[in-house]
Amino acid sequence: MNRRNFLKNSALASSSLLVPTFLHALPGGKGSRTEKILVVIQLSGGNDGLNTLIPFRNDLYYQNRPRLAVPAMEVLDLNGELGLNPAMASIRHLYDQGEMCLINSVGYPNPDRSHFRSMDIWQSGSGSSEYWSSGWLGRYLDSDCLACEKPYHLLEFSDQLSMAVKGEQRNGFAMSDPKKMKRSVDNPFLTSLSQRQHEADHDDHVAYLYKVLIDTQYSAQYLLDQSKVYASSVSYPNTPFGRDLKQMAELITADSDIKVYYVSLGGFDTHANQRGRQDRLLQQYAEGLSAFVQDLKKNNLFQDTLILTFSEFGRRVQQNASGGTDHGTANNVFLMGGSLKKAGSYNTAPDLMTLDNGDLLYQVDFRQVYATILEKWLNADASLILRGEFAPMSWV
Amino acid sequence: MEKIKHLFGRAGFGLAPAEWPTLKEQTLAAAVDELFSKVGQTASPLILPEIVSEEGVKMLSEEEKQAARKLNQERLWAVNADWVRRMASSENPLLERMTLFWHGHFACKSNTGRMAVQQLNVLRQHALGSFRELLLGIARDPSMIRYLNNQQNKKEQPNENFARELMELFTIGRGHYSENDIKEAARAFTGWSSNLQGEYVFRSRQHDDGRKTFMGKTGAFNGTDIIDILLEQKQTAAFIVRRIYRYFVNEKVDEDIVADLSRRFYESDYHIGQLMRYIFESDWFYAPANLGVKIKSPVELLAGMIRSMDMQFPQNHSILFLERALGQVLFNPPNVAGWPGSRTWIDNSTLMLRLNLAGLFFKVADIAFDLKEEPETTKLAMNQLDVSVNLASFYQLCQGKSQLEQFDLLAEVLLQKSPVFLKELAQKNQRLSGDDFIKLSVMQLCSLPEFQMC
Repeated sequence: MNRRNFLKNSALASSSLLVPTFLHALPGGKGSRTEKILVVIQLSGGNDGLNTLIPFRNDLYYQNRPRLAVPAMEVLDLNGELGLNPAMASIRHLYDQGEMCLINSVGYPNPDRSHFRSMDIWQSGSGSSEYWSSGWLGRYLDSDCLACEKPYHLLEFSDQLSMAVKGEQRNGFAMSDPKKMKRSVDNPFLTSLSQRQHEADHDDHVAYLYKVLIDTQYSAQYLLDQSKVYASSVSYPNTPFGRDLKQMAELITADSDIKVYYVSLGGFDTHANQRGRQDRLLQQYAEGLSAFVQDLKKNNLFQDTLILTFSEFGRRVQQNASGGTDHGTANNVFLMGGSLKKAGSYNTAPDLMTLDNGDLLYQVDFRQVYATILEKWLNADASLILRGEFAPMSWV
Repeated sequence: MEKIKHLFGRAGFGLAPAEWPTLKEQTLAAAVDELFSKVGQTASPLILPEIVSEEGVKMLSEEEKQAARKLNQERLWAVNADWVRRMASSENPLLERMTLFWHGHFACKSNTGRMAVQQLNVLRQHALGSFRELLLGIARDPSMIRYLNNQQNKKEQPNENFARELMELFTIGRGHYSENDIKEAARAFTGWSSNLQGEYVFRSRQHDDGRKTFMGKTGAFNGTDIIDILLEQKQTAAFIVRRIYRYFVNEKVDEDIVADLSRRFYESDYHIGQLMRYIFESDWFYAPANLGVKIKSPVELLAGMIRSMDMQFPQNHSILFLERALGQVLFNPPNVAGWPGSRTWIDNSTLMLRLNLAGLFFKVADIAFDLKEEPETTKLAMNQLDVSVNLASFYQLCQGKSQLEQFDLLAEVLLQKSPVFLKELAQKNQRLSGDDFIKLSVMQLCSLPEFQMC
């Protein structure tokens, strides 16, 4: 039996039997966006923050990195003390226009230097001795935010869902490409299942599986429709990350009912020959973002957008013997948006003198950054979501 | 019949069509007997992969380090994939299922294939034996020692990580010990370490032989004493039994039953096999409320499909790809608390993959799936998925039956609970004949949400 026959034979006439209401797809009608948008960009592998936002007046930076330091001449000076890696020239103007806020030395107590564990900590929002199985943005969905019952309200550009966007009750939605997504749900057999009669029992796991199936079918259609509303004319870098950002700008411009977008750029684990590799990645990152911001500005949407960029850890202050850097601790976090209250460098440059066993000490707990976004941007209950009190900051 | 299916769904990895005609005629008592017939025989230890020396690793160039990492990863993948294959084909499925349970309980990431096998041998040896021996084995297991930093637990500078998890996750549970108990227990485990070859060593010079006060008792305790004091607490039996009940019976706990089981487990001196046999011989285990209400974990789902459809994965990386895509990689749990299970297995991505899995194995599903890039891990792609399905024993099972009878029989083998519209599905397929009817029916039954349940 070939594929075509299979599809033909398994296609079932849609017998519209009684379907319990809880299994019905979400309330119909074209949803539209309310208020603010959050974009989270995860740099996976541990981005070397010291070669991203460079303390180019600090001799210790050059002493620790004789092979790896970016010469002061090449650094894009921001405030006389810190400067951007030259590969990021395309987003320098955001800093000059007051649309970028840089927070130095962000981390947490007793830092873990394993990629997996430290990423878990950043994604869940836990402390380093706690093990949580839900993410900070997932719990934002759980907190009953407006329209949060729609799974695509929190959209991750990937075929796999990150822990950050999984809640205790609700999950975000994973999709790398609306057409590809639609193909995977357009299996006629699966389509027929959602139209059949089921035994209604809300607690039942089987009912839950049917509900996720139906939500997924509905969401795939919604996202496909929304992706066709607006075709961007801005030119994005032809990389997976560039394509993700383009799709994101198109969905935002289409006024989609999506509050949070999550996207990753990987490859930052630069133990060897770091300069070329990291520069290429930072260039991809900056050029993608530059196009994205241009796109949003064209449609007057940048003032409603906040972009957070983080990585699971920074790297050691000292270069290693292979022209790279090993796993470190505290790192910088970037915020961009059209309505920042405080732009520029939020705090002082990292202290390269006082180190913990060769690693930077943190000054700002990453959960303060989350608390600020949750309270001040998403209008949510940060202490409930983060399961503790973290002092919000003043950049939004 | 439904009961025997339930027994094999929970105590093993489901049924193979070839064994069903005999099994379904058996009494429940005989089926339990058969399941336990190999218990008591010592589980034959798996053969350890060679040592990859860690000595001098620091001297290697970055390229050499990467090559060493790759070789090591391949060995670890082989151990992982072989275990999945063993779950699917074992003559002693109860042993494999119980070992999988303990792997989730003593959740631990292994860094090398050799260390993974060492740990697996400890779990297999005691999986249905004495919980005390199992605990002692795990406390001396090099993978666990490294995972919970006990090689850094020294007299002058105790590291409390292992002591904390021993109490919080492995024995008695939160709320039944003090911070001081952790400190004192950590002192007792000082010197329980592992060497560069990945073997257990007791470093007496790092061991603190001073007096400790632990759970109201005082003495010059070592790690074994701490474990024995923990086992004296009835709460330890209650904590383990609750875990077992939630895994093997129902996530919703019947407190009376768990109290009774806990008392029995305690009185049996923590004999795991006796506890399991008692559970599988109890009427309540087969109560309708316990049938088909558990979501299969990714590994349980895979092992079950391999078993029933006689599937072959010639390449280890195909199994690894599926484990990663579905969210459960053996020897690599999310953290020491293990896989949270139940609905956490399910999101839009994993569910669509689960429901398309049969179509993927039959090579008719139109899906593409990219794994997230992970640091320090070789990229795996879906187009390298190498798999074959063999339905011969399904064809055999269906011989001489009408199509409707065939369909019922297939549903009987594959599903614990059927959807109400099952009959209509069969009728729709009747336009096909012979093996095609069986093939399509098997694929459809495996694509039902009900198939995700056991």
